[in-house]
Amino acid sequence: MRKHPRGYSIDYYAYLSPLRMWNASFKVLLSVSILLICIIADNIYVSAAIILGMGYLTVRKGNVHFQDYLALLRVPLAFIILGSLPIGVSISKHATGDYFMNFHYFYFYVTSESILTAVRVIVKAFGAISGMYMLTLSTPVNDIIMVLCKSHVPKLITELMSMIYRYIFILMDVQYRIRNSAESRLGYRDFKTACFTFGNSMSSLLIISLKKAGMYYDAMEARCYEGEMHFLKEDKPVETRQILMGALFIIIIILIKLFTEMEEGIVV
Amino acid sequence: MSKKQKKLVLFATAMGLMLCITPVANAMHIMEGYLSPKYCIAWGAISLPFLIMGSIFMKNTIKENRRSITLFAMAGAFIFVISSLKIPSVTGSCSHMTGTGLGALLFGPAPVAVLGMIVLIFQAILLAHGGLTTLGANTFSMAIAGPFLSYGIYYVCKKCNLNRKVSIFLAACLGDLFTYCITSMQLALAYPSKDGGVMASAVKFLGVFAPTQLPLAIIEGIITVIIMIALETYAKPELKSIGFLKEVN
Repeated sequence: MRKHPRGYSIDYYAYLSPLRMWNASFKVLLSVSILLICIIADNIYVSAAIILGMGYLTVRKGNVHFQDYLALLRVPLAFIILGSLPIGVSISKHATGDYFMNFHYFYFYVTSESILTAVRVIVKAFGAISGMYMLTLSTPVNDIIMVLCKSHVPKLITELMSMIYRYIFILMDVQYRIRNSAESRLGYRDFKTACFTFGNSMSSLLIISLKKAGMYYDAMEARCYEGEMHFLKEDKPVETRQILMGALFIIIIILIKLFTEMEEGIVV
Repeated sequence: MSKKQKKLVLFATAMGLMLCITPVANAMHIMEGYLSPKYCIAWGAISLPFLIMGSIFMKNTIKENRRSITLFAMAGAFIFVISSLKIPSVTGSCSHMTGTGLGALLFGPAPVAVLGMIVLIFQAILLAHGGLTTLGANTFSMAIAGPFLSYGIYYVCKKCNLNRKVSIFLAACLGDLFTYCITSMQLALAYPSKDGGVMASAVKFLGVFAPTQLPLAIIEGIITVIIMIALETYAKPELKSIGFLKEVN
């Protein structure tokens, strides 16, 4: 996976993406509505369509390398496996279900219905994740904060967000250097040393960050900070074609939902 | 069984348990798409009063001292960084702290609720941990339940004159465990099992996450103690300036 040396690859892609030139509010709206449709519909075909559609948009239009996209999809895999296991497998004192495993005191059992539920949840999760990736891999955080500002999220929150976003990279940079020098002095050689090194480096990071916080306030005040930060906005108009394509995609997934459910109704 | 054999069995069990710790990155954030809309909204609604309380507290603090805004922002960035770093672990698996327990001890639980929510948004956007629709649920478990419990435990321990290190350890460790219990409950409520309902399902979720979360909680406790010791040694003036250590000169 291509990784920015000290940053986060999602952020790195967001700035490189050709989709960055799209209107941010439109992308947020599209992504959130697709997310909501995905979890409200709770339909395996809809989720599959969303995975394909959003994957196409991110990989082809957003120029994200396909291997990297797969690697990013693997990030939540651990949670998905662990989180779906209890949905598929149940415990009982008696032998029930379609398949079961005897543990003497209790039985682990699965039914084909529970497996189906687990698979549905997994596909739904991937659908929702690909909808979110479409947004995060194409929209830098500053643009997202702008959209939040426009949608009347309290100023305190948006202001803190834009400050925290800047400070994260400053602290990561400091931490990277602390870690490097600790590692070159064998600070992470075994578990006990690693714990001490980690704790000590975190406390120095906190001290540094508290000191920097004062300095940054001075710097802001020197630039006429009066309790409100102003940012220049980039004007990115929405193209009619994008709205049409977005609306078309949403209509298609709603139709898929209606058709598949009608068919299921007939079968049942 | 002879003593030696008993020891062998014990050792083998311990090794087995340790090897169970799979390489899981931040497993305790509920992923995008796992909760149905009604739970997303419900957990958001439960979190809202705490968030409003936190923002009112922060607003008042900022009104009193305008410089505190950068301090809050730095605290948020610090929580993000500490929760995104790999911490040392026994088996070489990759695990992360929640960092919110430490934040609650240093800055108080009310601002940590708001900062924690912002950190969770950034974790979803920048690291793909957690999600936007599950933000309410994750905020409640990570940024509200855990920190408030940590702070409460620390406060009670202080009242009981318990050893400072022990109380910090208990606060951070139990706060982390509480976060994990709440997350399991949230998942169980969303996916109750066929026989036994929510409780049986909760036991299953707790069991699945236990091998990663139990050692993690202990490590988080230890590391928090180390951080606090180092801070008390090197940074007394800074600690006083953020309100911690009022009672120690």
